[in-house]
Amino acid sequence: MKNKKILATCLLTMIISAGCAQKSVVRYGDATAVETTDINFGSTDLQKVAAEMTDSLLLSPVVGTMTNNNRPIVFVERIKNKTSEHIDTESITDSISTRLLRSGKFRFVDMTRVDAARAQIEFQQDSGMVDPSKAMQFGQQVGAEYMLYGNLSSIVKSNKDKSDVYYKFTIRLMDLKSGLVEWADETEIRKTRTKQSVGW
Amino acid sequence: MNAIAKAIVISSVVALSLQACQTPPPITSGIGAESLTNEIPPATYLKVDNPELAELLTISDVKNRLNNGLLEVNTELSSQYEKSLKLQYQFQWFDPEGFAVEAGKRPWQPLELHGFQSISLQAVAPNSRAKSFKVYIRPMSSNAYKF
Repeated sequence: MKNKKILATCLLTMIISAGCAQKSVVRYGDATAVETTDINFGSTDLQKVAAEMTDSLLLSPVVGTMTNNNRPIVFVERIKNKTSEHIDTESITDSISTRLLRSGKFRFVDMTRVDAARAQIEFQQDSGMVDPSKAMQFGQQVGAEYMLYGNLSSIVKSNKDKSDVYYKFTIRLMDLKSGLVEWADETEIRKTRTKQSVGW
Repeated sequence: MNAIAKAIVISSVVALSLQACQTPPPITSGIGAESLTNEIPPATYLKVDNPELAELLTISDVKNRLNNGLLEVNTELSSQYEKSLKLQYQFQWFDPEGFAVEAGKRPWQPLELHGFQSISLQAVAPNSRAKSFKVYIRPMSSNAYKF
């Protein structure tokens, strides 16, 4: 009888632990869903910053006047990453410029592809393979009227129970002719991580 | 204790222990508001998919206007609950024929609403084609929030 009891207990333990065994499962998720895997800068932060900054820029009265009968040409300088993390800020500016471009209010010149564009025009001009009457000419591109730039900074604090990170994202639009900053806005994000007791 | 009783006890323990290891799918239904432009005059409807959440939250003053040629929406969200609520919300946009504008581009945005706090949710349409909208609010998909 004692042996049987021990056997039963062992079996039960095995079943319970087998029930809790972990296996990895791959699933497709919602790319726009709120993501809280860890406290670092994540996809939700990027999307939030891009959406809020675009909304703010499109609603600003100055931009309303600027874009009334005209689609201003903008170039994106860069977002300076002043945080302690490695953050791909080009991805933030890509999202913002894509949204602005798709709003139909702005046009962009892309400074990151100048060399490739120059190489292509040189090819058309010099290679002898392109019909000279249809080849693109140098000196006909349109220059940017405005420059978009900004900063991303963070304050990180933590103790043994809690971590807190605060991001501040500032973005500005400068009129290249006058040097005036025509529009600026900032958005803040606070994330905290606390230890939570997990129960059944 | 007879054999049947023992079997019942063991099987219920096993069932319980197996169940405890499974994470139930999170609650992702919520409440929302939508404007319909195919009705005259244009009307706004509230939508309740999650009655428990609807008891804790009130959506009011769903307003919209044109700003710089773009549809701007402002809705008031107020908590009827004494504790903090962790929520997320999303706006969607539609053209006059009811086709989604820039579908899937608008992220779910996290939102913490303190006890009895009231805030404005604001958004701007991605372009001038958008003439109607939907806004949806749901709990942060976590099992920690059982209402």
